[in-house]
Amino acid sequence: MALRHAGANPARGNAMAYAILSLISAYCAVPFFWAFLASVDGNASLFLKWPEDWTAANYTKVFLVEDGATWFFNSVVVVGCVTLLVMVLGGLGGYALSRTQAWWKRPFLYLILLIRVVPPPALIVPLYKVLLLANGAMQSLMRAVLPADWYRPAMRIFGFVDGYLGIILILTAMQLPLALWILKTFFDTVSKDYDEAALLDGASLTQRIRLVMLPLALPGLAAAGLFAFISAWGDFLMPLIFISSPELQMLPLGLFRAFLRVNTVDYGFLTALAVLYMIPSVVAFGLARRFLVQTFGGGVKG
Amino acid sequence: MTYQQRAAWQLRAILLPSVLLLLFLVIWPAVYSVWLSFTNVALVGPGAANPRFVGWKNYARLFGDASFWNSLLVTFWFVLGSAVIGQFVLGLVSAILLNRPLRLRPLINGILLLPNAVPEVVAGFIWISMLAGGDHAVLSRIVMAFGLAPQDWLNTFPLTAIIIVNTWRGIATAMILLTAGLSSVPEEVYEAAVMDGAKPFQVFRLITLPLILPTIFLYMLVSTVSTISIFGFVYALTRGGPGGATEILGIYIFNQSFTAYQLGYGAAVAVISLICSLIVGVTYVRALKVEV
Repeated sequence: MALRHAGANPARGNAMAYAILSLISAYCAVPFFWAFLASVDGNASLFLKWPEDWTAANYTKVFLVEDGATWFFNSVVVVGCVTLLVMVLGGLGGYALSRTQAWWKRPFLYLILLIRVVPPPALIVPLYKVLLLANGAMQSLMRAVLPADWYRPAMRIFGFVDGYLGIILILTAMQLPLALWILKTFFDTVSKDYDEAALLDGASLTQRIRLVMLPLALPGLAAAGLFAFISAWGDFLMPLIFISSPELQMLPLGLFRAFLRVNTVDYGFLTALAVLYMIPSVVAFGLARRFLVQTFGGGVKG
Repeated sequence: MTYQQRAAWQLRAILLPSVLLLLFLVIWPAVYSVWLSFTNVALVGPGAANPRFVGWKNYARLFGDASFWNSLLVTFWFVLGSAVIGQFVLGLVSAILLNRPLRLRPLINGILLLPNAVPEVVAGFIWISMLAGGDHAVLSRIVMAFGLAPQDWLNTFPLTAIIIVNTWRGIATAMILLTAGLSSVPEEVYEAAVMDGAKPFQVFRLITLPLILPTIFLYMLVSTVSTISIFGFVYALTRGGPGGATEILGIYIFNQSFTAYQLGYGAAVAVISLICSLIVGVTYVRALKVEV
């Protein structure tokens, strides 16, 4: 803005701007060039080059030769549940936080902001101990109520360590503070007149939420859901610690383990997997773009 | 019970699931890690079966441990190099230039946002090609064009390498926040300055910079906190190596706890990193003067 007004020659100023922006854009884009080009190259290597042998074999390999289908399935199930849970809990909690006048409102909101600065790596040790304990309790429960041959499949779903339930709850807890904050500030902009009109008409709490608040809250819910999806989809630390069975493996670990296999590094397959893995979060990011400013860092504008 | 009382209870009831989840999976673990840091709890051996209270022993060991100080120093350079300098400078330059009415603005905007959108492991993985050794890797080709020797970057300049990758990842966040700050500066201020014959750099230094200083301060706090919590892409690239050169706090905690199996010691490091983050966090909350 400063340059636009002050520049004596706007054409020369624009050329300068394009030159600098091209350099920054190249910095941002070059790694992606390698990933895309290598993924369609029959002789992919570690180095950026134009493919001579164009092929889709790397992509089919992800699903037909490797366990890509399992990794995708697990990521979709886990992150899908996390996104849904975050939207439901964040929506209800955000509504409550926006409407309540109780004394704990202010401390609670400050606590949420502080929780957002807690580094996830600082929580892994105690989380592991807590969930190991919960997992033990779940094991004895499952042993007591289920026939022996149902025990293992049930623990895959309800286990707190190496089970869907545990990783879903952890990732939900990590994403919840931002969602609560987004939705609280969102509901603050929705007039209380709607609630009160519905109350006067004798609507119950469930009816008020379902018929009045839900339709009004859709943009806020979409923003909260998209951010939860992006960061849970990209999370690496929690699956690394809490998932060990191959059949429960998610995409981040699938990719990580595949590129650790030292003697059989297949860059075509790896880049194809990386491209497939990044597409959902890039799409979600594109959709979330217009919400970015409002929600940055827990609401810069409060 | 009056209907106001009932409404108040209903609000508490629908907030309860969130409270329970945060209590059990964030707040309780954070408090519990303080307790664990005073025990000799381990993943294997006697500490696994019967952890004992050992007082300040973990902290005493921590402060005498060169690898801990190394990790703290690496984290400091990492935050300074990527969040405070790299992302901020490139984000500010992009924000200022993209404020011009350029035809390709949406395209450039999209390209700059792309690195921010990719999963952590993908970010680490796709940079392996850029930073690899040998004459053919992208970064080596670039420096060779300037007459410098090619390097095996992850071995010779590991910390610089992860700073480059994190800068790449964070330009967009800096740009978005600083764009918001820039757009809050009224047009008339610039027009008046140009009328008075101010040069572009003078306009920037004397008008733009002071007016967006609060935004810059907030950006610094937010990016410092989020850089302290980084784990994924650095682990995917280097796992903290070579020889601890990229062992930022998150990776140090992980390595001590799950590779060396010393959960108590890992918890002590975690407490230190919690304290650092909370100090920045409290500053942030106070600086924001959030209306809650």
